[in-house]
Amino acid sequence: MNPGETLGIVGESGSGKSMTALSILNLVPEPGRISGGKILFKNRDVVTMTSGDLLEYRGGDVAMIFQDPMTSLNPVLRVGFQIEEAMRAHSRFDKRQAKARVIPLLERVRIPSPKQRARDFPFQFSGGMRQRAMIAMGLANEPSLLIADEPTTALDVTVQAQILELLKELNRELGTAIILISHNVAVISSLCTRVMVMYAGRVVESGPTRQVFDHPEHPYTWSLLRSVPRVDERRHERLISIQGMPPDLARLPTGCTFHPRCQFKVERCLREEPPLVEVAADQEARCWVLMRNVSKESQAVRT
Amino acid sequence: MSRGTLVYAVQRLLLITFTALVVSSIVFIGVHQLPGNALASERRLNPATEQALLHHYNLDLPWPQQYLLWLEGLAHGNLGESLVNMGTQITPLLLREVKVSVTLGLAAVFVTIFIGMSLGVLAAIRQNTWVDYAASTAAVIGYSVPSFVWAFLLILLTVTGLYAWTGGTIYEDIGWGKIEQIPVPALALGLPYAAIVARLTRASMLETIRQDYVRTAWAKGLSARVVILRHALRNALIPVATILGPLVTGIITGSVVIEFLFGIPGLGQEFVTSILSRDYNIVIGVFTFYAALIGLANLTVDLLYPVLDPRIRY
Amino acid sequence: MATVVPTALELPDQLQVVGAAEELPEQVTLWQDAWRRLKRNRLAVIGLVIIGVFLTTALVSFVWTPYPTWRQALGPTYQGPTLIHPLGLDDYGRDILSRVMGGAAIALSVGVGASMLASAIGIILGLLAGFYRGKIDVLISLLINISYGVPDLLIALILVVLIGRGIQNIILAISITAWLGMARLVRGQTLALREREFVEAARSIGTKNRKILTRHILPNALGPIVVQATYLVPAAIIFEAFLSLLGLGVPPPAPSWGAMASEGYKAIQIAPHIVLMPCLALSLTVLAFNWVGDGLRDAIDPRMRR
Repeated sequence: MNPGETLGIVGESGSGKSMTALSILNLVPEPGRISGGKILFKNRDVVTMTSGDLLEYRGGDVAMIFQDPMTSLNPVLRVGFQIEEAMRAHSRFDKRQAKARVIPLLERVRIPSPKQRARDFPFQFSGGMRQRAMIAMGLANEPSLLIADEPTTALDVTVQAQILELLKELNRELGTAIILISHNVAVISSLCTRVMVMYAGRVVESGPTRQVFDHPEHPYTWSLLRSVPRVDERRHERLISIQGMPPDLARLPTGCTFHPRCQFKVERCLREEPPLVEVAADQEARCWVLMRNVSKESQAVRT
Repeated sequence: MSRGTLVYAVQRLLLITFTALVVSSIVFIGVHQLPGNALASERRLNPATEQALLHHYNLDLPWPQQYLLWLEGLAHGNLGESLVNMGTQITPLLLREVKVSVTLGLAAVFVTIFIGMSLGVLAAIRQNTWVDYAASTAAVIGYSVPSFVWAFLLILLTVTGLYAWTGGTIYEDIGWGKIEQIPVPALALGLPYAAIVARLTRASMLETIRQDYVRTAWAKGLSARVVILRHALRNALIPVATILGPLVTGIITGSVVIEFLFGIPGLGQEFVTSILSRDYNIVIGVFTFYAALIGLANLTVDLLYPVLDPRIRY
Repeated sequence: MATVVPTALELPDQLQVVGAAEELPEQVTLWQDAWRRLKRNRLAVIGLVIIGVFLTTALVSFVWTPYPTWRQALGPTYQGPTLIHPLGLDDYGRDILSRVMGGAAIALSVGVGASMLASAIGIILGLLAGFYRGKIDVLISLLINISYGVPDLLIALILVVLIGRGIQNIILAISITAWLGMARLVRGQTLALREREFVEAARSIGTKNRKILTRHILPNALGPIVVQATYLVPAAIIFEAFLSLLGLGVPPPAPSWGAMASEGYKAIQIAPHIVLMPCLALSLTVLAFNWVGDGLRDAIDPRMRR
């Protein structure tokens, strides 16, 4: 990723998006582990970092916020303390500075009465406020990258919009790069300039958001976009969904992992898994067929 | 301390006083229903002396009247006089002994919590390794072996063992008065409960470690020590605290036997002695003290909850 | 497999959608399932074996022990373990092995006896309190609350002093201090169960209250009751040992393990085997019952059913 960039990772549950995010922090939960490959942050490999370096890196260079703010904050510690703690654990700010930054941080994320709120416990916050507090906690050390794993999924729609707005603002003002993970295509497109589509643990398409969503090349991306119900659609049209279920990652199909559910597969798809290739300027896709090669009539058929 | 908690504490204190009163009244009345009189045991007294003695202790009055006199004394903190050892005032005697028992009890609680939690946390963070299995088995054995057996084993280990090892130079007598005589009875008293606490802590930690907020703590780059202690254990303590009440009551009960075995001049030993010598005045007094002690111990535990879990308010 | 219409107590092991012509899958009662699971629990099985050994020993001791438990001067006093006296001799020259065997009989009698008696009282009163509420419940709840503040050992001591030290009295004294715990459990279970639909259903077809209690509520509460009763046995055994150590247990020359330990304590430094042998027997028994109790508790836990 480039500094200040916003990347969205889109996929169904079980597609591996959360795992990817956790692995960036080298936090893959047991019994899983990183078995190979490299994760480079400013040219240092996260996978081989020493534990001391890792502690500084996590929460310092790269921070992560999670889906459910209710359970992601420690219920017995004050919110202000939890934010302060994030700073004290790193070397960027000393004790005095850390203490002093808590209230301004809460202000930054638009939490009203920050002075009182800092002394409150999480159960005294509303859902939206908790997520804001989590964002404040994530940004406390001014990380280069903030990973947000489904930050709005557990919230009301109106609050969702506020949080996304906040993230956009913070990205502009602080220049923090953001990786936004979601299964909701609309959320991604409202915030992210680049998008990565994941399926069965693999990246199946990536590129600038506008470009990918206007001209999806991978059948999965195409199906996803089609399945978003539109408010202006005629009432009696059936909702489109992708037939079948995402595969069990322990028992993947041969060849292309998406082929059992793909309407446009050819014989090669059953045998060989396609590599990720550049299909347009700055856009990659993992498919033998590619949507541009599918006739308009085939595309119009509703499943 | 919030206002609500203060109100709660006061309410509980009143309740404790009331319960202690009720309990000791029941014992008092019960004891005075017994046939014969407390003094008649083995001593052969000539009628005049016996009359004088009965009068001295108000035992020649009808029992309701005795009860009222006793209540009046109670209001002034006076629990009366020993029947067996005339002249010994009960209240100061029991106060001295309560200090001893409380010291022993606190030491035992310390053992319980320290050993129990360490073992439980260790087993949890090394789940399914040999450390876990060893600790868990030790725990079951720990609470299956009653406190007095631990006492015997520890005595053998420390007194006899030390003596044998050092070829007769070091000999620690069991008893009370020196500070190095505290650990052994405290261990004997506390080990079974430490085992229970260990099991509970392990189970609680295993659940807590899987919570989202622990994941957040890791993601914040906090050190393992901080994550385990400040985030996981802090929350894991909450369910464990629920057994603290019965635990303290159990320790108080167990101390009766341990005091007896070690010759520790505490409340428990006093109770046994006075029951065996039919010194009913002391029996009633000890009961009162125990009721109050247990009540206070449980109250302390209950006041601990809001400290551990800020979601709980009284 | 016979097809049986499930009642409120029997839960099918698997739910299968089957055609009308096919047989229903094997249906297992709660107890059969619990027994199967218990058998798989290694510690519980070991516990049962140990209990079996002690039980056999106890029964045998009624008709035979290597030496009479009360016969003194069989050899030099305080003698350690030898071939003819595998556990040694005590301070009166009595054979410790024989006495430990006799002690098993006493321990199991006291343990099982007190557990049964306390459970019986506790179940009856708990059911009544929880089901009918009213004055009985007020009284029982009051007693339960008071009992939190009073150490059971002290009550038992007073009782023993009052009613005497025979083995039946000891069982009685222990039961009197223990029934409240069972009552509390049963009361809680009853309170919950009486709100369930099958009670309402039974009532609606005119079942009398007593039948409801015995046929519906009690069987469903039986699981936790059995577990609690199992845990009560070792608790009672330890309780009697406490009493013996204080000099108020089953009177001599009865070879209760607690009494043996108590007598042997005086000589612990020169002849530790006198104290340790009965303590070993006692600890093993308690451990065994705890393992079985744990196994039962896990076996009836509905969350662990597959």
